[in-house]
Formats: sequence, C-alpha cells, structure tokens
Amino acid sequence: MTEPSREAPLTAAHNIEPFFVLHKAAAGASLTTSRARRRVDKIPQPSSPSPKSPKRPRDEDGDDEGDMELYEQLRLEAFHRTWSKIQSTINEVLRGINLKLFDQVLRWVQESFSTVRSVIRPCPAEIQQPYPLLTDVICRKIPTAFVLTKNAEFVDDVTTFRDLSDHLESNGCHLAKLSSTELSAKYGVAGCLKSLLRQLLSDVPDVADVSALASWYCRAKNYDQPIIIVIDDLEQCSGDVLGELVMTLTEWVIKIPIFFVMGIATTLDAPRKLLSSEALQQLDPCQLTMGSPSDRMNALVEAILVKPCAGFCISHEVAVFLKNYFFRHDGTITSFISALKLACSKHFSVEPLSFLCMGTLEEDCENFWRDKFDAMPEAMQKQAFGLPSCTRENNSIKPGNNLVEGLSALMKLQRDWSSVLSCLYEAGRHGKVQLLDIFCEAINPDLRTKKDSNIELLMSKVTSGNLPSGNSGAGRRFLAQALDTVRYMPMETLFRVLKVWSIHSEGMNEINDKVKELQSTTTSADCMRITKDKWTRSTNSTANGAVPLNEKATMLLDDITRKFLVPVECLPFHEIICFKNVGVLQSALIGNPRRMVQLDLLKSQSRLKCSCCSRNGIAVSASLHDTSIMCNLAQEYGDVINLQDWYLSFDGIINNTNSKGKRKLIGSPSKKKSKAAPQESEAMIQARFCRAVTELQITGLLRMPSKRRPDLVQRVAFGP
Amino acid sequence: MAPRGGHAAAAASSGSEDEEVEEAGFSRSYFLAKEKEPSSAKKRARAAAAGKLADLNLVDEQVLRESLAEIPPKHEKEIDALTRSYKDQYRNWLFELRCGFGLLMYGFGSKKLLLEDFASTTLTDFTVVVVNGYLPSINLKQVIAAIAEIFWEQTKLKQKKQSGKKSQLSQNFASQSIDDIISFLNNQTPEDGHDGVCLLIHNIDGPALRDAESQQCLAQVSCCPRICIVASVDHVNAPLLWDKKMVHTQFKWSWYHVPTFAPYNVECVFYPLILASGGHAQTTKTALVVLQSLTPNAQSVFRVLAEYQLANEKEEGMPVSSLYTKCRERFLVSSQVTLNSHLTEFKDHDLVKIKKHSDGQDCLRIPLVPDALQKLLQELA
Repeated sequence: MTEPSREAPLTAAHNIEPFFVLHKAAAGASLTTSRARRRVDKIPQPSSPSPKSPKRPRDEDGDDEGDMELYEQLRLEAFHRTWSKIQSTINEVLRGINLKLFDQVLRWVQESFSTVRSVIRPCPAEIQQPYPLLTDVICRKIPTAFVLTKNAEFVDDVTTFRDLSDHLESNGCHLAKLSSTELSAKYGVAGCLKSLLRQLLSDVPDVADVSALASWYCRAKNYDQPIIIVIDDLEQCSGDVLGELVMTLTEWVIKIPIFFVMGIATTLDAPRKLLSSEALQQLDPCQLTMGSPSDRMNALVEAILVKPCAGFCISHEVAVFLKNYFFRHDGTITSFISALKLACSKHFSVEPLSFLCMGTLEEDCENFWRDKFDAMPEAMQKQAFGLPSCTRENNSIKPGNNLVEGLSALMKLQRDWSSVLSCLYEAGRHGKVQLLDIFCEAINPDLRTKKDSNIELLMSKVTSGNLPSGNSGAGRRFLAQALDTVRYMPMETLFRVLKVWSIHSEGMNEINDKVKELQSTTTSADCMRITKDKWTRSTNSTANGAVPLNEKATMLLDDITRKFLVPVECLPFHEIICFKNVGVLQSALIGNPRRMVQLDLLKSQSRLKCSCCSRNGIAVSASLHDTSIMCNLAQEYGDVINLQDWYLSFDGIINNTNSKGKRKLIGSPSKKKSKAAPQESEAMIQARFCRAVTELQITGLLRMPSKRRPDLVQRVAFGP
Repeated sequence: MAPRGGHAAAAASSGSEDEEVEEAGFSRSYFLAKEKEPSSAKKRARAAAAGKLADLNLVDEQVLRESLAEIPPKHEKEIDALTRSYKDQYRNWLFELRCGFGLLMYGFGSKKLLLEDFASTTLTDFTVVVVNGYLPSINLKQVIAAIAEIFWEQTKLKQKKQSGKKSQLSQNFASQSIDDIISFLNNQTPEDGHDGVCLLIHNIDGPALRDAESQQCLAQVSCCPRICIVASVDHVNAPLLWDKKMVHTQFKWSWYHVPTFAPYNVECVFYPLILASGGHAQTTKTALVVLQSLTPNAQSVFRVLAEYQLANEKEEGMPVSSLYTKCRERFLVSSQVTLNSHLTEFKDHDLVKIKKHSDGQDCLRIPLVPDALQKLLQELA
C-alpha cells in the first residue's frame, strides 16, 4: 500500500466517487479458506467412532500457513459455538425473569379482548362499513398496558419488548411494533398506519387506511384474535402523532380490537405529559412493572460467569473492569453483554489454543481433547506446556504431562469453585451481597496466595463482629460478609440456605454429606426451638453457644471456601479457557478518539518511534510531523489562536532549525544535502501550514474563523 | 459534533480507574486555556488586531495549490514500519469481523489506503463496497440499493445453477423505499461459500453522513445478516454520533487505534485553504458567480449600488430611497416591490448588508473592500 504507482490509477477515479465496488467475492479467492475448511473436516470428530487418529501426514512447504489457517478456522468455529451457547443462556435467563410479566400482559390481553367482545361481536359486513357502530361510549376506549421498565437507558428494553412480542405472538395475538422513529412528526400518522399495515398485511395498499386493516381482519383466520401494538419507548415518541393515532384507532376499537402495550422508562406521569387530555381519555390504562436491573444482572452473572455455561471464563482483572464498566460507566445489561462478547472474541482471536474450549460443549470432552491434541503440530503441543500457568514455580497444583488430564482437572476444579461460590452467594444474598461483587472477589488470584496467612486474622475479626475493613481484609470484604451472614442468620433462613447448598454441592459428595448432616441436625434443633422460645433464640445462640448450628454452618462454609474456592488463574492451563488481557478489551470497547488523537499529535515521536525528533532537547523540533508541530504550538494559546502569529511561529520553527542545522552539521555527509536544499520557500511553508490547519480541522481539534473574525481560529479540545 | 459535547465524550469514553484523574487534568487544561483567553471585549479586539493575515506575504492561491502537491513527506521509514505493524493484525481484524463485530479505526492520519489495502488483501471472500464518506454529498440509498443488487445477482446465479435456466425475475431497487430495501437485506440468509458484503466506509463521521438519519440507516444496514462493516473516523467527537442501541446492538464496534500519520490528501480536497479563502479573491469570485446567475436588471441594480459605494466611501451606505430613485431613473425597476425583490435576493446571498443610518433610514452596503468591489465590477462587465 505504500507503493504509489499501484495506487495511482485507483485513486484518481475512485476517490471522488461516492461509492464503488472494490472487488467481488471471487470463488477462486476463497481457495485457501476452503482448503483450510477441508482440512478441518479431515480432523476426526470426537463423536466419530475412530478415537485414535494418527498424526496427520503433513507436507513440508506451506505447512505452517495451512496450519495457521486451519486453527484459525477452528477457533472461529469455537467462538461461534461458545458464544451461541452463552447467548442462548442469556436469552433463557432474561426470558425466565420476564416470564411473569409476560404472562400478566397476556392475561390482560385476554381479559380485555373478552370485555370488548362481550359488548358486541360485529360481523364482517359490520366491520367493513364506513360508519361507526352504535355502542356505549365507554367501550370506545382502547385498552392500554403501561409497562414500567425501571431502566434509565432504553437499550435494555429492546430485547424485553422483543421477547414480549414473541410471547404474545406465540399465543395467537396479531402483533405490530411501532418505534419512536415511526411515531415522529416526520412520518406522521400516515407513516404509522403504513408501518402497521406492512407488519400485518402481506400486500400493502398504496394508501394507508384503517379500512384495509378492517378487511384483512374480517378474514376467518384473523378474526378471533386481538391486534396488539407494542410501542417500546413512549417517552421518545411525538405526542401529537401518537395522539392522532389513538384518536384514529378509537373509532375502530369495537370493530377491530386493537390494544396498546407501551413501555415507560420514567414515571406513570409520562403519558399524561405526552398526550393531550382528549387522547388520554380514549385509553383504558393498566399498569404493569418489570423486574429491577440488578435482579437481572445477578441472574445473568450466575448463569454465564459463575456457572461457565460454555467453558469460557474471564480473569479477575477483566471481571473488575467489566464490573466497573457496568456500575460506573453505563449501567445497562446490553453493554455488559456486548463487552463480554468482545472479550470472548478477543480470547479466541488471540489465544492459539483457545479452540480447545469447544471441548466443554462436547459430550465426551476428553475424547475431543485427545483427538485435537494428537492432531496438533509439535510446536503447538510444546506451546501448551509452555503456558505460564504450567511453568511457574509456586504452583500449588502441578500440571501433569498430559494436556487432556490437565484440562479435565481444570474443568473439575472450575465446577467445584462454581458450586462453592454459589453456596457463598446463597448465604451472602441474605446480607445484601451482590453476586457480581462476590464473584470478583472469588476469582482474585492474589487473595488465594495471601489467604493462608490472612485467614486466621480475618476470622478473628469476623468473630468479634467487625466487618473487616482494614487493609488485610479489604480484598475479602464480600466473602467475609457472606460468612458473617451465616453466623448470624435466623434458623429458618439457615434451613432454607442449607437446602440450597445441598443442591449446589451435588457434584461434590464429601461436602454434600456434610451439608446433609447439618441439615438433619438443623431440622431437629429447629423444630425444638420453634416450639420453645422463638424470640429469644438469637440472643441464646450468641450467649451460651451451646448449640452452635450457625457456627457449624459457618465453619463448613469457611472450610470449603479454603479448599475449593481456587480462582481459575491459579490453575494450570487456565489460559486456554480464560480471557485475561484487560488492556486489549478496554481499548477495543472504549475507543477514545478525543484523547488518543491529541496524544498522537502531541507525542508523535513516540508513536512513530523515530529518533530524529526528540534529539537536541528542543521542545518542538522541525523534523516533527507538520500537524504535530502546529498542534504543539496551539497549546501555547488560549481558546482562540491568531493565525498570523501561529503562522510566524510555524515558519520560525521550520526555518530556524534549518539554518541551525546548517551551522551545526558542517562536514557531515547529510550536510551536503541540506546545503543543496535552499531555505523552504515561502509558498511551500504556506502550503504546509494550510495542510496542517486543514488536518487539524478534519480531526475536529480546530474550528475555522468566522466571517467576523477572519484572523482567529478556535481551539476545540483542551488537553488530552 | 458540537464542541460542548466533547466534555461528555471525554468523560464517557473512559471507564478506567484513573477516570477522575483524567477528568481533573482535562478541566485544568481547559481553565488554563480560558485564562489565556483575553477576557474583555477590548482585550479580545486587541488580540484580533495583534496580527492580520493580510500582513503576511501570502502567495497566490494557484501557487499555493501547486506547492501543496509537492510537500515532501516526513518520516517515511517510520510510517512504513507503522503500516507494516498493522498488516500483521489483518488476520485478527478479519477474525473479529467474522465474529460479528464492526471494525472502527481511529487515530491521526488518513486511513484510506490502510483500509483499502486490508480489504483487497484480506477480505477476498467478501464483496467489498467502499463508501467515501469524506465527500460532501453521498446518496446512501444508492449504496444500499447497490448492496441489494449484489445479493440479488447472487440469488439469481444460484437459481440459474439449480434450475439450469435464467431467472426471469427482476428487481428494481432504485424505485423502492429505503425501508423496503433494508427489509430485503434483512431477509438474506447466510449461505455456504458466500461471505456476503463488507461495507467499507471511509470517514463514517464525514460531513455527508453526520446527520442522525444517515447514521440510523447505516446502523440498520450494519446489522443485516450478510453484511459486515469496516469504518474509519477522524473527528475527535465521532462517538457522539451514536446512541447505546446503535453501538451495542447494531454497529457492534470494536475500536482500533491505528494512527498512520499519512497525509489526508483526498479528505482535504473539500476544505478551503486557510491562507487562500480569507483573501478578497474568494469573496469576489463567489459574489461574481451569484451575480452572473441573476437577471441583467438585477445586475444593473447591483452596479448602481456599487458605483455609489465607490463614489462615497466615507458614507455608511446608500439609502434605500436614493437607490430606488436612481434605479427608476434608469428604468431598472418600475416599483418599490420589484426593487425589494432584487434586494431580498442580494441579502440572501450576502451581497448586501442593511444598516440603520444615523438619521433613521435603512442604508445598503456591499461588504467588500473598494479594491475587491472594483474588480468585481470589471469582471461583471
């Protein structure tokens, strides 16, 4: 791309065309990929009956490239499978949480429909007649469900309303969605009707008219269901257009049962502020409320991070970043999920062995790993054992010589970790611990290494009733809080918690037994207690300590925490499944052009890694990129820059150093060149100045002079 | 792209721990800059008067443009190395594209060559449609119709292969609405062998694409099943173009900081040169273009006004009543209404400014210096 000769013919024609086709996807062009695909296919699938795969015979030349493509293809496949698993889990979780609301809406729809139909059941001829039916005035109201979303940001509700629409549609309702762009003054009510017809009718007439809808509704297959119009963000709509739509439809509500479902992000006042009283009177409101965002967040974290549903997991640093990103930056689940997806794609893109992740999705994962490992080129096999987690000295768990065993052990330990964390959260949530918080602590590898020394100290603090807030315990705040909650938990709650523990610990026999044992003692003790003195129990347990059931549960929890809560980063081979590079994620997620472009210009020498510009110790060297010189000079000014002044400084820097260079470099070979070149001509300097100003203008760091003040330009950005 | 949005952008675009520190630094430099700013109007005037562009020995625009083409490149070696380092990332970029993300390149320097090189060397499985967003006008509908056309051709080809005969169906996308075309694009299903279309947009923050409607349209296109998007931005406030829905569910940007330090040769073309546009030449030229498009009578009215202004340089302007009398004498206008319609035309094109005279009546003045006015009259004749 640096050869101008090749670019020249292309640029001339294509630079001024608004758009052009650079090249078509040629069938021949994808030869390499298809070859790679074939080779991927050659690798025996784990489910295939031939478990032993001999090492592939490989050609000598072009082999590395082929391998690279092959494994890239595998990693891509792994990403798609992993992410689709995560995505479907997310969808399931969100739908599960919203199901209650969806059912409420459905019930309301059915009730409203039967109310409307109980008034009158018009025949097709009646529906299509141009004048209204004579009925009670009250029944001309349109049933409307206002769904309070409790989200400040609308973006999270997009999926909720999509799911709601699916839910209603699958239950037989006719469904149409109107977005705020359609309900805008620009489209008008005609645009809305057109959009409605597009969504419901197969062939849309040129003139959007409700009568077209009426004749469609008269058909036998459409007749017995209501039409639901979903408007997901009411606040963004134009009140006039919506009002007009309401007034239009209200004429028809008996003939065509159309109901509204409207999402409200703020308060119930919104419709009143938005609609005219006349339109408002035509609505028959019903109020429904969605679950809170933090509930949804907890459920999501549990489903995709605590119980890694697809094998992929994230490191402590990444988790903390995501947590901050969620709480401080954005607060929407959508952005959290997209950040996670980006992390996932980065992992599969960068980590060569990440395709092994796919194994966890297979029924027989060991077989899968074995096949893949055998087929690997030697360099890659070596790479696996050269992973930092396998080579570090102070590993508590030593990696074996076998990758398959290593990975299986990793999965087993991950499962244990997840069970223990679930138990901890089950206890902690009674003390208002958020899952994301405790999750971040549980995957912190530093705590694991420090823990053994700190734990005694910590425990003593907890027992004395203080929440550890000192420096040693600060990192384990939420874990300690969870333990603490168990310690002071009322017996009934403890019983429920133990019940959940026994479910979580199902895969771990040793713990499960202990939980069961505790459960049995609790049951008997509990019965006795409740009959005896329900109200003095809490003082009793701390005072005499004769029945330290809470204490026992706490000990158990603490014990399993120590034993099994091993963060993934402490385990060998974790790099294969765990994404760690928080820097890469951050830069891809949050592009910061405002800062970075200014830094590009102010520190161009470090970006270009050149040796010429920062020599001599001059603040602004003439060898810098022209725009960079100008940007540096601009820092000297206030928010307006005098062009003449700026030009003179620029001129000064370029010519000054030129003459200085002349004096200094006598005798050096490069000297001849600079001697031959005369001082930059005025025209050239002006041209360079012009170009630099234009470039600053393109980057938006500068605004052009106004007509009133033609000699001043305005600085827009101040400091990176 | 209002500058005041910049604060929000700076605050919003860093989610890291050192956000507060950064924030403080930002506000400090802002206030430092404010301090340097001349506060009172008087000081401001002094700053403005400190130096004028006219004081410089400005070369002719023609010469300036010639020199512009000959600016010697700096740091060629380093820029080469930088570009090579990006080449190594091409495969990762492709990977991410296939994962369903859109690539958004930013950083100082033209990214046109870089992206087109990436497209022609790495995106060989895609049909690549390039949009030059830096141009002042782009018809997005044509772009989308072109993409739809590509898919339509593929479908036809496939049908031909299957049935052995040429399909008689035809689609005229140009006559369909944008919504219709987008719903056609949305109905495409991923097929084997075809990776679909990659939309490569240079300067998605360019002047013609900066409005909300274009961005909405691009966002809708970018989440169609067989379309992926690679774009570049140059403006520092570019993130303000998109809301969360667009960023997270439609474009799905993955940002890449790729400063190239390459000159904005093509992108620059549509910006006026700062040392050329300020002079008289430009204003005279534009005034001439406007005047030549008017009727001969209107031109003559302007001439009357100009001649009066040249003859009476010290005066604030020509009273409307005297202009009317003069024009009537020369049979240029028959009534005040006709004169007013000419004047409205002049005002709309900034050929004439109206001022209240000290004695209360409206005065007309052409906002050009005598020399420029003289030249204009010569050229008009």
